[in-house]
Amino acid sequence: MSQEFEPTILAFVCNWCTYTAADLAGTSRMVQQPNLRLVRMMCTGMVDPKYIVKSLLSGADGVLVSGCHPGDCHYINGNYKARRRVKLLNEILPQFGIEKERVKLTWVGASEGNEFAATVNNFINEIRELGPMEARSMAVV
Amino acid sequence: MRKQYGALVVGAGIGGIRAALDLAVTGHKVALIDRRPSHGGILAQLDHQFPTDHCGMCRMLPLMSRDSSSQFCLRKGLFHDNIDIYLSTEVGEMEGEPGKYLVSLKRKSTLIDPTKCVSCGLCSEVCPVRVPSEFNAGLTERAAVYLPVPYAIPNHYVIDLDNCQRCWKCHEACPTGAIDFKFEERKDFHILVADRDPELAEFMRGELEEQNFPLHFAASGQEAVDALASDESFGLLMIGMNLNDMDAERLLTRSRELRPDLAVVVMADKGSEGAASDLVMQGAREYLVKPFKGKRFVAWLDKLYMRILSDTTEELEVGAVVLAGGFDCYSPAMDPEGGNDIWAYDHPGVLTAVEFERLMSGTGPTGGMLVRPGDGRPVKRIAWIQCVGSRDAQKNADFCSGICCMFSIKEALLAKRLTGGEVETSIFYMDMRASGKGYQRYRMNAEKEKGVRFVRSRPHTIMPMDDGHTLRLDYLSDAGELLSEEFDMVVLAAGARPPKETDRFALTMGVDLNQWGFVDTQPYSPEKTSKVGVFAAGAFGEPRDISESVIQAGAAAQAASRIIKAYDVLAGIETEPEPEYPDVSREPARTLVALCASCPTLEQAVDIETVSRRMGDVHSVCRVVPVGGACTPQGWKDIEEAALEFKPNRVLIGACMPYAYIPRLKELGRTIGLNPALMDVVDIYTASFNTACGIGDADCKEKAEKEVYSNLSTAVARLQGADPSGPAVTVDVARSALVVGGGLAGMTAAMAIADQGYGVCLVETEEALGGTAMRLHTQLDGSDPRKFMEELIAQVEKHPNIKVFTDSRVVLSRGSAGRFRSAIASPRGVFQLEHGVSVLATGGHEAKVYESGLCVHKTVMTHLALEEQLATGQLDAGAIKSVAMIQCWRNEGEERTFCSKVCCPEMLKNVLNLKQRNPDIDIYVFYRDIMTQGFLETYYTQARQAGAIFIRYDDETAPKVTFGEDHQPVIAGFDPILNRRIEIRPDILSLSSGIEPNDVEELQEVFDVAVDEDGFYQEADFKWRPVDFLKQGVFACGIGLAPRRMDETISSAKAAAQRALRILNAETIARETVVATVRHSLCSLCQACIAACPYGARVLDMDQEKIVVDEILCQGCGSCAAVCPNSATVLTGFHDAPMMSVIDAALEEPA
Repeated sequence: MSQEFEPTILAFVCNWCTYTAADLAGTSRMVQQPNLRLVRMMCTGMVDPKYIVKSLLSGADGVLVSGCHPGDCHYINGNYKARRRVKLLNEILPQFGIEKERVKLTWVGASEGNEFAATVNNFINEIRELGPMEARSMAVV
Repeated sequence: MRKQYGALVVGAGIGGIRAALDLAVTGHKVALIDRRPSHGGILAQLDHQFPTDHCGMCRMLPLMSRDSSSQFCLRKGLFHDNIDIYLSTEVGEMEGEPGKYLVSLKRKSTLIDPTKCVSCGLCSEVCPVRVPSEFNAGLTERAAVYLPVPYAIPNHYVIDLDNCQRCWKCHEACPTGAIDFKFEERKDFHILVADRDPELAEFMRGELEEQNFPLHFAASGQEAVDALASDESFGLLMIGMNLNDMDAERLLTRSRELRPDLAVVVMADKGSEGAASDLVMQGAREYLVKPFKGKRFVAWLDKLYMRILSDTTEELEVGAVVLAGGFDCYSPAMDPEGGNDIWAYDHPGVLTAVEFERLMSGTGPTGGMLVRPGDGRPVKRIAWIQCVGSRDAQKNADFCSGICCMFSIKEALLAKRLTGGEVETSIFYMDMRASGKGYQRYRMNAEKEKGVRFVRSRPHTIMPMDDGHTLRLDYLSDAGELLSEEFDMVVLAAGARPPKETDRFALTMGVDLNQWGFVDTQPYSPEKTSKVGVFAAGAFGEPRDISESVIQAGAAAQAASRIIKAYDVLAGIETEPEPEYPDVSREPARTLVALCASCPTLEQAVDIETVSRRMGDVHSVCRVVPVGGACTPQGWKDIEEAALEFKPNRVLIGACMPYAYIPRLKELGRTIGLNPALMDVVDIYTASFNTACGIGDADCKEKAEKEVYSNLSTAVARLQGADPSGPAVTVDVARSALVVGGGLAGMTAAMAIADQGYGVCLVETEEALGGTAMRLHTQLDGSDPRKFMEELIAQVEKHPNIKVFTDSRVVLSRGSAGRFRSAIASPRGVFQLEHGVSVLATGGHEAKVYESGLCVHKTVMTHLALEEQLATGQLDAGAIKSVAMIQCWRNEGEERTFCSKVCCPEMLKNVLNLKQRNPDIDIYVFYRDIMTQGFLETYYTQARQAGAIFIRYDDETAPKVTFGEDHQPVIAGFDPILNRRIEIRPDILSLSSGIEPNDVEELQEVFDVAVDEDGFYQEADFKWRPVDFLKQGVFACGIGLAPRRMDETISSAKAAAQRALRILNAETIARETVVATVRHSLCSLCQACIAACPYGARVLDMDQEKIVVDEILCQGCGSCAAVCPNSATVLTGFHDAPMMSVIDAALEEPA
């Protein structure tokens, strides 16, 4: 893989937990990669798989979905719904030539700013290893 | 003009927040104050709570009128239209009467202008001071200018003047000039010194030369009075106690007559401190003892000057006061008997529980790594020691803190989780008081599944080992052997103590304290203090865990709203009507982008002009205006003017700390006539320090600019698709309540609702009101429960707003919050009822256990029966020689999955009762764990002092009961202290069989609510919504919810009533910004959304063939939109099309 490849990551984060953690990571000046794009959702349970696919097709090299820890969802069970959805999506993606590693679901609680920074950095490293998304150039959009 | 509020809530911890929210959602204006510079109390420091090991505090936020409150993590901050929060604020004085208390608040200035501070942190970097950080419980250090909580909103630095060294470095470092030490005003601050001693004048002139304070000296009292009368420019009067013509008290009085607001300081001589402190009580600010030391005196005077000039007072008029002062944790270091030695607290391996909690936190000293904070050594074995500073009569703590057992289990589990189960955890305890709902299961899971070791013993010594690393714990085993074990870390489960300076606070508020220094409360009304109209919430009246604190806060809020209602507080004051905004949905989007351009730290990192130019090219952006400091009044005015000039229908502001703007956006909306839902604030500031490279690096600048641009353009795309919310939804609320269950809980809830003027139908299955509480004859605190119950029944029966149906049951209940239709079957026929809320208070009963000869032998009875027989005289205590009692009695083989909570107090009541009547009686109590939380502990102590013998048993050594001649019980047990088998032949055997909830299988179906595995009602959230069901509009209280004592039952009933009032008070409900709607033309009625909705907000209307969304119930989580196969269900603001453009904008590479 080329050394210069800088992946673009889109993160769908829930308003209650991970967005707060991202904000905390930002304000406590934990170094974050500038190639991360945050999209705040009310809940991970409202992340429609088509948003994830759309992101991958529109230029994201990896999509992170991050919400409250299991049992912690502000909306009772939205994160469980997200878990099921991402699991299914991960099974389908390879059929379209998209590595399932490009979509990741994590739980990051509101006070875990350091955890958020670490999660993002790890994910970016993983995607960097994986290289640019090749399926995009083949897909007819 | 005094600011008027319905209620003042003192203490912004969890209890205060809950009480404030409960009052605010029912429409009362609330002032919420805290003496700390941050909100959240101890919960700001705790990331996890038992028994879920999660947080979830945000679930306390209002479910209705969500837009009036903040919609983000509650630990970060809180906004509510009806709540004004004053931090760093204390109550100075309070006078008046219930319904009209005049309160003056002392607001300590942080010396940093919050409208200018951008939280860049440069001040903190240059500060030379290092003091223990409160947030990290002393494990880390902070500067004298610091952030109280790293994630709070709004997050401004504050100056801790007490620890400030006055080097002024922070003032020089601040890029925005936010720090104000009042340098300029010094030359106008005239100080009058009234003292006979000429040397003092000389000393002060010399020392204070640099400060530029104009000094004036008066050698006599009269001279000072004349000076005060003729000149009004004095800022401070210093009174010596050596004046010839006038004593200090007289001068103080005269000065207060002449200049009531003048700060007065007393200069006491050695030996006259007592008289000086009397003068402080009479209005002097403080006293200082001579002789003064040069440097220290100057520092003191300078700080006093800054306080006098910067601090402000706020005058309020409030209807009721809620005290939610919480508790302080016992510090082993403050033990006057040299606790350091016993607990080795100065050793790096010894932590208090709060310190351990911080250690486990991501924002803690190690970023959440389990190493010893002092020396960084790895941790393999941890011990928790319970009851440090609680249950200890020698330390004036003959009470149980009630929380430590549970938080220790939680901490052990967290440590296990963090290390993948590797760390060895041992909890040393006296009684494991896991008596709340689900706590026993939590404990069993910890022990059996997670491998937490529980050791019943109190270690008497912690010995640091010679290697300097490990600690040796010496303790006695059950068999009496002396055992030693080594640990890497010892956590002291330090209990709760009254907050610092509670005695002074109680004096100010005029309330009594109990013998342990907590606020004294009244029997059967644990929220009432000794002063009418002043209530105790949370853990201020007795140590409590979160769930109980929240319930207690609800009860206090209920009591406060009763006062507000009774005295008609704020009557005649018109509230601002909800503004109506023009509908812009048909107009093309025109976005005004305002960029904060003046911030120096931002300017260095980003070229605002480049960003502005790029933003100007973004679709729908009509104008980009750079403003100087959006956070300053001037900057805000610029934005307003730009908005008025360009008439945009979307406004986007690029600034720092977006959360802090939420209340201001609402104001802006009113000014320019645009719905705040069409405005947004984006953080363009964080990007400036996100990049790893140095300032001035061109590549770095470009990266930061890219990020800022991307954030802004994403927000523009989102705003473009924002739905302007529609008009307010009028809900036709049926203004009455249905209360099921006519016991203590049901009657209390009914009274609380009826007193607010709403009708109540009270349905009881039995022939008479009263329930289980009628079986009680005495109470431990000496009050008369019978009398209380009889009075309550009489009040309920006479109440004009309450209709009682006895011998009746609810057979049907349909509808949703605000409008239920129910049918009540009574002997007189079936009645139909429309009501807005339902309260389920179905209670419980004494569990039925048919063993050990109960119901066979007259000598065997339950605790309740023993109480009754003693009270009615059926049993003569004088004729009995010995009594045996067995706690936690269950059928053979039946597992004890929950604690009934009432049996131990019931047992103690019988023990003390018997001992009082016949001191010679022998009493043997077989127990597993004595559950006497809080101040009940003192009765346990009394029972032991009275000579009752307590014999512990566990599963293997459970006592066996057989019967001898004349039905005499023979109990074969095992005494762990004697370490031998024993046999007891008492005259009477009294058994505690515990509480079982009443059977509610039918009601469960009628009301569509859930019960837990033990048969108690399943609340929405055990900690944060303890009296709500998931189904809105239905509430639960009393024993039906969980085992409770009488006062706890009353609290839960009042809390439930307060929650119910929210719905009954609603006339119209404003449509929320984020709510789900259905586009019926696309809907195929597959009903997938109905299954997905966690709130039951969706139903299929069979007549109309439509999916209908209940806007009160919908919380806007968007689960329905994600499952809808046709995109027929959409969430306002999160439609597919705008979401797609948001994604595009986020991924767009700027040119």
